Amino acid sequence: MTREKIIQLVNQIFIEQFEIEPDQLTPEKRIFEDLALDSLDIVDLVTGLQQKFSIPLRENKDILEIRTLNDIYVLFEKLAAEHPDIIAKLNQDP
Amino acid sequence: MKMPMKPRIAITGAGVISALGNSRQEVYQKLLEDECPTRKRPDWADQMYGTYQPFAAAVDLPTETAKTISRHFRRSMGNAALYATLAARDAVAESGLTKEDLQSGRIGCIISSTVGSPSEIYASAMAVLRNELQALSSCQFFKIVSHSSAFNVANYFGICGVQLSPCSACASALQSIGLAYEQIKLGHQDAIVAGGSDETTPIVLESFRFLNALAKNPDWSPCELSRPFAEDRCGLVCGDGAGIFVVEEWSHAQARQATILGEILGYATNCNGAQISQSDGASIAYCMRQALKDANLNPEDIDYVSAHATSTPSGDREEASAIREIFGDTVPVSSLKGHLGHTLGASGGLESAIILEMAKNDTIIPTKNLARIAEDCAGLDHVTFRRQKRLRTVLKNCIAFGGVNATIIYRLADF
Repeated sequence: MTREKIIQLVNQIFIEQFEIEPDQLTPEKRIFEDLALDSLDIVDLVTGLQQKFSIPLRENKDILEIRTLNDIYVLFEKLAAEHPDIIAKLNQDP
Repeated sequence: MKMPMKPRIAITGAGVISALGNSRQEVYQKLLEDECPTRKRPDWADQMYGTYQPFAAAVDLPTETAKTISRHFRRSMGNAALYATLAARDAVAESGLTKEDLQSGRIGCIISSTVGSPSEIYASAMAVLRNELQALSSCQFFKIVSHSSAFNVANYFGICGVQLSPCSACASALQSIGLAYEQIKLGHQDAIVAGGSDETTPIVLESFRFLNALAKNPDWSPCELSRPFAEDRCGLVCGDGAGIFVVEEWSHAQARQATILGEILGYATNCNGAQISQSDGASIAYCMRQALKDANLNPEDIDYVSAHATSTPSGDREEASAIREIFGDTVPVSSLKGHLGHTLGASGGLESAIILEMAKNDTIIPTKNLARIAEDCAGLDHVTFRRQKRLRTVLKNCIAFGGVNATIIYRLADF
């Protein structure tokens, strides 16, 4: 899966679920401070990422370390390498 | 010894969300024009038992209106809490209370509904049945708990005084306003954002249908179905919305130079202790007498009775018997349920807000579809056509499942 595809899928969650304008979604943005998400939103972000990528995340320790949007992109680049079967299915979607 | 003066309690703001409009002026105008919001809801049929064709007087809120509440606040709201917040925003704006007032700890919030959010409870149940609990939002709990409307409104304004939610089905709003009146009389708060909200869904309809309380004549058009006090009444029409007041201690309102829309003169609530699904005339009459006593008024002081009357055979009969016992045929009586549907936990607040407009215009909105008065509801001064009358003092009833009654007496002119 390309980084561009990962950015597209992650950003969709921020746009649709958190109603953030697309032009706000640049990699350096901090999730709490810049994008104004809070602890309840993080629960929904994890749920949204699980649904979008079909990868279980609740027990994933790395997800606790994300601070910026780029941290999420990088995490999913790593997860894409670990879950090639799931990612192959996602790649078939338009 | 000089007796202390009884505190006076003012209404300084009133907001509504309803199927007839989202300001009390708009709703009043549409009532004058006899506009009816009850519609067939074929889109709800697949959630109803059997081959039933559902109907309701439901709010159709544009998404852009909902989005005037930011996502941060909206994320924890079901529709009932959303309607409450939108109505409260108008009420607070009209009252002129400032952010500093609201966040002083001297302002409270008492708002209730039948349950937190029927649509979100249904969504949660479906998630359980589909084994999709992990997909529910972090805010699902906050949408469905019984005090959802109260804390969502309090959170929206930063209110940090008393927060209560006396959920009592169709008496919820009137009990909330009454409780606000009592809290302020006791000196606990200077003002309270108070009222009720509710949402109607296929499951709500089915709950009433199961108890034979939903209107059931398939030959009538949707707008003919609710006919309080009528000989051929056959059940209620469900509606929804919100009606929220700012209730305020009189001198506090005067010191702010707030416009006073009305005064709460008296309040009472009780229950019949005998029947959870049937109204009871004796306990309704007792409730009205207690409210009159609290207001230090006699029956002849009342200019108009706004009845709860939902168009169910037994409920209307019992309320009519209670009104007849106290007022005979000397006081005009009407019900707004034929126009708005039964807006459940919102009804006491929404209908009270409309009464403010009726009083402002010296006009009584008649009971809709009341062509032939039932024998068991006769002996009252039923208002069947629009009537001009100065409404100085008005009595409002709400009656709820659980055998609950509530009555508030308002002064709406000559303060």
